[in-house]
Amino acid sequence: MSTRARLTVTVNGRTYTREVESRRLLVDVLRHDLGLHGTHVGCEQGVCGACTILLDGEAVKSCLMLAAQVDKRSITTVEGLAEGNDLHPLQQAFRDAHGLQCGYCTPGFLLSAVAIAGRGVVLQGAALREELAGNLCRCTGYHNIIEAVERFLRQASGARGDG
Amino acid sequence: MKPAPLEYLVAETREEALAALERYDGNARLLAGGQSLVPLLNMRLVRPTAVIDINRIPGLNAIAADDGVVRIGALARYSALESSATVRDRLPLLARAIPFIGDRQIRNRGTLGGALCHADPAGEMALCAVTMGATLRIAGHGAQRELSAAELFQGPYTTALEATEMLVEAVFPAAPGTVATVAEHARRHGDFAVVSVAAAGLPGEGEIWRWIRIGLGAVADRPLYARRASERLAGTRLEPDAIREAARLCLEDAEPASDIRASAEYRRHLIPIYVERVLVELRQRRAGADPGEAHR
Repeated sequence: MSTRARLTVTVNGRTYTREVESRRLLVDVLRHDLGLHGTHVGCEQGVCGACTILLDGEAVKSCLMLAAQVDKRSITTVEGLAEGNDLHPLQQAFRDAHGLQCGYCTPGFLLSAVAIAGRGVVLQGAALREELAGNLCRCTGYHNIIEAVERFLRQASGARGDG
Repeated sequence: MKPAPLEYLVAETREEALAALERYDGNARLLAGGQSLVPLLNMRLVRPTAVIDINRIPGLNAIAADDGVVRIGALARYSALESSATVRDRLPLLARAIPFIGDRQIRNRGTLGGALCHADPAGEMALCAVTMGATLRIAGHGAQRELSAAELFQGPYTTALEATEMLVEAVFPAAPGTVATVAEHARRHGDFAVVSVAAAGLPGEGEIWRWIRIGLGAVADRPLYARRASERLAGTRLEPDAIREAARLCLEDAEPASDIRASAEYRRHLIPIYVERVLVELRQRRAGADPGEAHR
């Protein structure tokens, strides 16, 4: 058996094939092998949520998966949100509501919130804070993050016509 | 914090996983949700020669109701248990416990089987398994066996599983009409429990309870089924005297230790308080009131 693994993975719609060390964490492959530096490394033990990505649409922490596990799977990172220079509506909401200060935690929050919208639920207040409890922010005190995500979820449900 | 070099194998079937465990002779770890194993790998608290990924084994995540029991495959993820109507209706204790586990991302990956095999004395799934008296189905190379939850947990992060065995299914007794509740004291929201208490009971005639089962987490080297308190409460109306007596028996049966999260003395202070809260809440839930999430 080898300590290397070969994987083919779709990230933000583009397919990559790489051979990596079996011990390599998914977040490190995204950053170092694929050059997608938007996914951040915080605690490396599954507490801070800075490395949150979408795996087949579900929010997961990419420091708690080996890269080899995502062979033949589909991933969305923060780089997959904007279209060219047009911010994703959630990114625009963060900008409008001042939902970030240093920005380190922001990619994780964005992906967690996109996953909530993907499930078609409009969460607010305490329920939304609970759903975002896996993402830590040390600057904002969360108020403006929650405000931004609430705005985005209302907007997303309005666009679907169920709001 | 990166894992030490390791080999990575995908097991496509249960037999492949067992054969690989045999081949590595105790030096391989099964990878289910990875939400406890990968932090341990990252911190190099465990350094297996190989990691055997069982996530692609078909059918290992099934959740099914069956003649008085609910069968849950080892790979069933918390998020699946959270949204399962079978769990909500027939195994309410599990449904009440899951919101205390980690956070959304953790619950999207973490599995029942992984949690049970991790055997954290503060773990919610371990607590539910001993409280309900679940049976664990274990597969080994060419042999199957069953263990009760009380037999599975041998100490902190230690189970009765051989290094060449795998947990395939947990079978929970599930009586229709069971009422259940869980309360937990933690330093921070979503953090590991300092003390956790689980209770389930079956209402009988009038205000009588036919049976009640209480479990205690994080108060010993493994989760405890509080047998004496549970037996004391069977056939009662959960009147204040019975509740106080049960709380006292739970405290007597606990063997709390001091650790980074709390002192043994503080845990002893909390145990009767949380047992009383859980039992009062159980009575309220039976009456149809939703006590809310006041004890989170």
